[in-house]
Formats: sequence, C-alpha cells, structure tokens
Amino acid sequence: MIALSPRAKAAWQRCLASPRVVAGAGLIVMLIVVAILAPWLAPHDPQEQELLSILLPPFWMPDADPAYPLGTDTLGRCILSRLIYGTRIALYVAGLAASGAMLVGTVLAIVAGYFGGKIDWLISRAVDIWMAFPPVVLALILLVGLGAGVNKVILAIVLIDWTRFCRVIRSEVLVTMTLDYIPAARILGFSHSQIMLKEILPAVTPLIITVLSIEMGIAVIVEAIMSFVGMSVESNVAAWGVMIADARTTMHQSPLSVVFPIAAIFLTVLAFNLLGDGLRRALDGRLVQRNG
Amino acid sequence: MVLQARNLTVSLQSKDGRIDVLRDVSFDLAPGKVLGLVGESGAGKSMIGRVVSRNLPKNFSVTHGSLTFAGHDVIHGSDAMLAGLLGDRISFVPQEPLTALNPLMTIAQQFGEHLDRIGIRRAHQHAQMVKALEDVRLLDPKRVLSSYPFQLSGGMCQRVLIAMAFVSQPALVVADEPTTALDVSTQATIVQIMRRLQQDHDTALLFITHDLRLAAHVCDDILVLYAGEVVERGPARAISGDPQHPYTRALQAANPSLDGPLTRLPSLPDNMPGIAGFSALKGCRFGPRCPVADQACVGAVPQLRETSPGHWVRCSPACQHGKPVAAPVIEHRADDLSGEVILQASGLSKYFEPPRNWLGRREGPGLHAVRPMDLCVRAGEFVGIVGESGSGKSTLARLLMGLETPTTGQISLDGRDISVSNPQTKQLRLDTLQMVFQDPQSALNPRRSVEELVTQVMESHIKAVTPEARRIRAQDLLRETGLSPELLHRYPSQLSGGQKQRVNIARALCVTPRLLIADEIVSGLDVSVQAQILNLLLDLKARRQIGLVFISHDLSVVRYLCSSMIVMRHGKVVEQGPTEQVFSNPQHAYTKALFAAAPPADLESLWPPEQTSLS
Repeated sequence: MIALSPRAKAAWQRCLASPRVVAGAGLIVMLIVVAILAPWLAPHDPQEQELLSILLPPFWMPDADPAYPLGTDTLGRCILSRLIYGTRIALYVAGLAASGAMLVGTVLAIVAGYFGGKIDWLISRAVDIWMAFPPVVLALILLVGLGAGVNKVILAIVLIDWTRFCRVIRSEVLVTMTLDYIPAARILGFSHSQIMLKEILPAVTPLIITVLSIEMGIAVIVEAIMSFVGMSVESNVAAWGVMIADARTTMHQSPLSVVFPIAAIFLTVLAFNLLGDGLRRALDGRLVQRNG
Repeated sequence: MVLQARNLTVSLQSKDGRIDVLRDVSFDLAPGKVLGLVGESGAGKSMIGRVVSRNLPKNFSVTHGSLTFAGHDVIHGSDAMLAGLLGDRISFVPQEPLTALNPLMTIAQQFGEHLDRIGIRRAHQHAQMVKALEDVRLLDPKRVLSSYPFQLSGGMCQRVLIAMAFVSQPALVVADEPTTALDVSTQATIVQIMRRLQQDHDTALLFITHDLRLAAHVCDDILVLYAGEVVERGPARAISGDPQHPYTRALQAANPSLDGPLTRLPSLPDNMPGIAGFSALKGCRFGPRCPVADQACVGAVPQLRETSPGHWVRCSPACQHGKPVAAPVIEHRADDLSGEVILQASGLSKYFEPPRNWLGRREGPGLHAVRPMDLCVRAGEFVGIVGESGSGKSTLARLLMGLETPTTGQISLDGRDISVSNPQTKQLRLDTLQMVFQDPQSALNPRRSVEELVTQVMESHIKAVTPEARRIRAQDLLRETGLSPELLHRYPSQLSGGQKQRVNIARALCVTPRLLIADEIVSGLDVSVQAQILNLLLDLKARRQIGLVFISHDLSVVRYLCSSMIVMRHGKVVEQGPTEQVFSNPQHAYTKALFAAAPPADLESLWPPEQTSLS
C-alpha cells in the first residue's frame, strides 16, 4: 500500500462514500469483466448464423428457444452473444479515444495556461474555432477523408474532442498559476517542464480524471452512431451500433432486438456519467468546501 | 444595558461529542461605551457577533446562558423580532469592505436599499446619504455615491459601510476587525471616525480585534479571549497598564515597541489549538502554553476572580504570575553595516505598460510600480522596506528575485551583474538569493509533504540526489527552523499557520542562501506566533550572517528586526537610512505621518491624532 497524502486519502474516502461513484464504477467494472470473459460468457459465436431460427423472441415470450436467451436477429445470430461481444468494441473505443483526447487536450491546456500570452491566445482561438463545427458533421467529414474503420473512429474522436479537455483544464491551470507555489518553484530553480509536470499536473489531475470519465461515455455514443451509419467496424462485426442498424429493418416484427443494444449503450453511458458526476463532486475542492 | 451576556456558551456538535467554542462569557455593554473583544484567530471572538446576527456556522449553537439586547432576548426571541432589530437598531461593520459591497451596484443604489429597509422615504434619501457620507469625512459624497465599489479604495469603502451602519442611529454597532484589511494610516482615520460617530450618537460599539494595543486605545472595556474562554476582563487602561493573566501579558509583550530600548520578544511555545483540540484542554485552557503553570492549573478550571474593582482574571489564586523577566536587549550595532556587500541594485525601476485593446491602442496610462532606486544589502544586514499597499514594495521583491524584468537599472550579486539572464547568472541568483512568500497557504504545494517541500530545490539539480541525502537535509532544516522532526511526513493542511511559515522559511534556507527576501511574512500570523518567527530570523542572522530584505507595513516589526530601512510611497523612495535614525528623526512628511498613524504603546498619548490625512 503506497502512503497517501491526507488530501488524497480524504478524496478517496469521499469517492467511496459517494453512491454515484460506487454505482458507476461498479457497472464499469462489470462491463470490463464481461468484455474480457466474452468467449466464455457468450453461448454462441456472435457471427454464427442459424437461418432456420431467425427472429426468435427472448426467453420470457412464447416460442422462445432456451439456447438463445435474448432471441436471434434476421440472420439467426444470437443477440445475447452479440451484445456481449459488442461490449469489447464499446470499451476499446471508449478507453483509447478518451485517453487520446485527454493526452492532446491536457498537454495543450497546460502549455497554454503556463506560458500565457501569444501561445495561450493561439491555442485558445484554435479551440474556439474547433468547437464551432458541429461535432457529428465534423466526424463524418473526417471519416470520409480517413476511410471507415474502428481505429479511424478513435482518431476522429481524439481530433474532435481534445478541445473539451483543453478548455476545462486550461481554466484550472490558470487558477493554479495564481498560487505562490508556482513562482516559488521558479525561484528554487525548477525548469518550465519541471514546473508543468511536478507542480501543475498534480493540481489538475482530479479534474482530468473527471473529464476523462465523461468523455468515455461520449466516445461510446459516437462509436455507436458511426457503426450505425457503417463508418466504424465492418458490418459483420458485433457492435451495438451495427446491431441497431441491422434490427431496424425488422423493427415491426421484433421491436425488442432494437431495444437490447440501445439498453446496452444507455447502461454504459449512464455508468460513465454517474462516475464522472460523482468524481466531480468528490474531487472538486470548491464543492467540497461549500458542503463543509 | 445595550448588550448583556450572561454565561453565554456556544458549542459545536460534532461526531466526537460537544465542544464548547465559547464558554461562560459574561459582559455588559452600556450606551456610548466601547467593548473590545481581543484574541487570536480561532479564539471565538467573532462568535458573539454571529450569535447576535443568528449567523452561527452549521452545527454551532448556543447551549447555555443568555444574551439580551436592550431587554430583547436575542437567543430565544422570534426571527421577526430580531430581523426588525438588525440593520436598524443593531448594525455591523465587516472586516473586508470590498467583498461586503455588491460590485454590480453603485454606492447610491446599495445605500438606498438600506435606507428603504429602515423606512426612510425616497424623497429624503439623497440628502440623508450625502450627510452620512460627509459625517465619515468623504470629501466628495456625490462622486462616491455614483461610483461602484471597485472604483473606490478599501478605506473609502469601509467609510461608506460605516456611514451605512450609523445612519439609522443604532443602539449597537458590531465591528469585526474593521481595520485589519486596511493600511496603517487608513486605520487611524477609520478608528477616529467610528469613535466620533459612536460618541455623537451615544452608540454602544462592540469592537472585535486581534490587536491588543489598538483595542487599548479604542475601547473603554476589554475582554481577552483565549480558546473560547474569557481570561481577563476589565477597563482598557487596567488591562493594558497592568495585565494580570499570563496570556494577556504574553500578548502585550509579543508586540515590539515603537520607542525605547529593544528587548528580545518573549514568545509563547506552540500556538493556540484549533477548535477540535479544545476538548483535550483540561483545567485551564491556557495551561499547556503558560510559562508559569503548575500542577494546580491542570486540575480544575480556574474561575474568574476580581483582582481590583472591575478587573477580573481567570487564573488560579495561588499563581504569582512571576513578574516578567528582563529580556536581553537587542542592539542593531554599527558593525551590521560593515559586512561585505551581497546585493547592489542601482537605478532599478519597473514600469508596467498599459493594456492594449484589440485595435492595439493603449488603454489608460501605465504604472510606474517602482521608480529608479538604489539598494545595497550587506552580509548580516537586515533592511526593512516599509510602505502601504500600492507603494511598489512587492514589485521590488519580484524584481530582485528575477520574477519581473526591470525596466531600467541593474542588479549585482557579489559584484557580478545579474541583469542579463543566462545560465551562470541564474545559478548565481539561485545559490545566493532566496525568497519567502507572504502566504504560506498559497506558497506551499498542498500535495507535497514537508520533507519534499523543504528540500524541493534539490529536485532542480541536474545531479541526482539520493533519498537519504534529502531526508538528512530536511531534518537539518527542520531543526534549524525550530520544527519537530516528526513533521517530516506531514502535509501543509496538517500544520498550523506558524509551522507553515517555518516550513516556508526552511525551504528558502535549503540552498544556504546569503540573502533572503521576505515579503510580509508575518502579517498573516497571530502576534504570539509572529514573535516566534521574528526571533527565528534574528537567530538565523546571528548564526549564519544572513542578509535580509524585509518587506512590511508594520513599523514596530521593522524596528525590531532591521538595522536600516527604506520608506516607499507610490513606487518612490521617500526616506532611507539607519532604522534608529529614521525613527528618532524622520525627515519626510510622509514618514512622519506614518509614525503618527501607528497606535503607540503609551496610553496617555492622544491617538488617533486629529490630522492623519495622507491622501
């Protein structure tokens, strides 16, 4: 067990005491376990087609086949298995895209906030212009340019959403810059990069974690949209967006096959947002002080 | 009686049970009188004002005793009754004038709102406001009324708030540290105005302050609080002239004097515990810090007893208090000025360009923060720089530290010019010159432990330092600054104000600098802790022949520490010379006015003086 500073310990205890954080983190851990254990949990191969038993209803309805607990789609593929494998794509995109956006956004935010002046002006105006584009349109344009594919989706999310990190974290850096321990570090001979890494970064880390969690939820939605329009994974890969697109044609015969992937997206995004919201409340010094 | 308290007890209900943050407080405040509540931060002196305004913090409540205002029960009376009294019969003067006024409204609008509430007809309001502002000696009331708070100085805002407090001719005014945020000369004016209004209208004034000397001049009666208990109560003259309680004595002795021989300040050990520590104080709450405590003091809570008519002391009757021991005399000897020159600045100045608007045009004039000045500091010499806010003294510190680039002039260290910035001059500056910041709360990264903080400079070396070397250095520094080695693994949030400031100083000492720059490093501390820090600096001087540039607004502290001093005003040096010479024979009118504005230790001299206008 590493020794925690009392500040970190108190923050950790506030996190544990927050129902939002516990519920959100619990759901996410569950999703990660499902994604890792997918080959063992899924009753069928997600691509395996059983054309003799298409559009089977879920287990609680008449004519259900117990081998397919949530029924089958138009090609007779097991919906439960596809949902389970879809978790892998969702979490893969959420993790990589959000981390990438965080990396780009945080670096630029700290550089802008620390050096100020012209550098800050340039980065801030770039963020302003970037944010003026409608994000989904920008994503589609980017994907048309880059070509389809799940890694391209990740790249697109990074290129679009770094601004969210940049803007939020820059303002926190500016607050930190007003504290005397920054000039004190300069007087003690710290180089610019030392001050940014050792003094400023730790001060903005709680905020980075919070924004990261919310960004993961957003990445899940964006990936679902992109695979829905066929810009992400190939159409035979099990992803939640693909499942919605497939089930859309037979929505009137079996409405539940659309509901399941939507519910999966809903649950995942809810988990990330709960976690993000809870972390914000637990880690934001100003909120903590106000509540005594 | 206007305000009468009987055995008033305020408690904090916490997880660990009930803690009395104010215990058994009784006093009488008659019309036209001034009662001073004196104590260090956390002593509970603001609680009484909060009881009156029913503004106690969460989980705090009155658990015992009574408080009556002109026969009305303030504690149990209805909210409506109290709301009718507040703002009309009872009014308040806050500590921070700038935050107490709404920046989005003009003075006239805010004043008008207040007059609406106390039922003055709109037609009469303007005349009333002008008169009230004239009463607080604001020269141009019409201009003040049409201004926004941020267009006025702190002193002017405080005068506006005093005018508002007195306009309803209240029976009671509660002033919580009304001058603490203001400059010395402004303080004198504000005190004078409040005294005048209070006497004219026969108003009772509850004057809350940490400054015993100021209270002695302002108040008729004084209540000295320590850790939520009244330790001494009586007429101001008796308390200041013949303090009985060891704590009151220590408070009085901890303030360096403005005249007479300088003796080493006696300082109490440690500091007053925070509220959470009150319940651990058995017996006399001052016992653990008392220089003359004995076994009897641990056993029972001493009762207030009358030593002379009207003068009450909470101390065991057996206590002889031990007459104060004669402290060694400090002399700023001439040889302070004979060490080798460490720092020499000549023609140093700083001009801040005005901001430009988006067309590139300059908006308004720039600011000459520091006009060309010379400065020379020798080894073992303490140079005091005195000035009020806006005098450029902090900019000077930043110039010397290289945090700002000088507009003109040059700085040399050990005879080598460091005006040009290159790796050699940077290293020289780092090795020779260090700075202690004003507010340790802000200057210490809360995420670093004490060990990491005091040896922070070692991280910047290119050469790797072993963790053991760091630990040993940190222990040395803690010992040198009088801190217990147990604090090595603590974090700033776990330290008291005095301990934080010591860590702040220890960090600057890590490179064994030959010259320290200290910017108002004791202004945020309680007097007893201030004395500890001042003595620490004197010890460092004796031990290390260290030089110091000590920036302060407090004349008595500068006199105590420094062998030479510089008086600054509006960025200009108005007077410069050996401290004793400047004090005994000030030349410049501004220096004279500054001296006149500081409350003297001698109660017989008239203070505040009639004319202290510096503006």
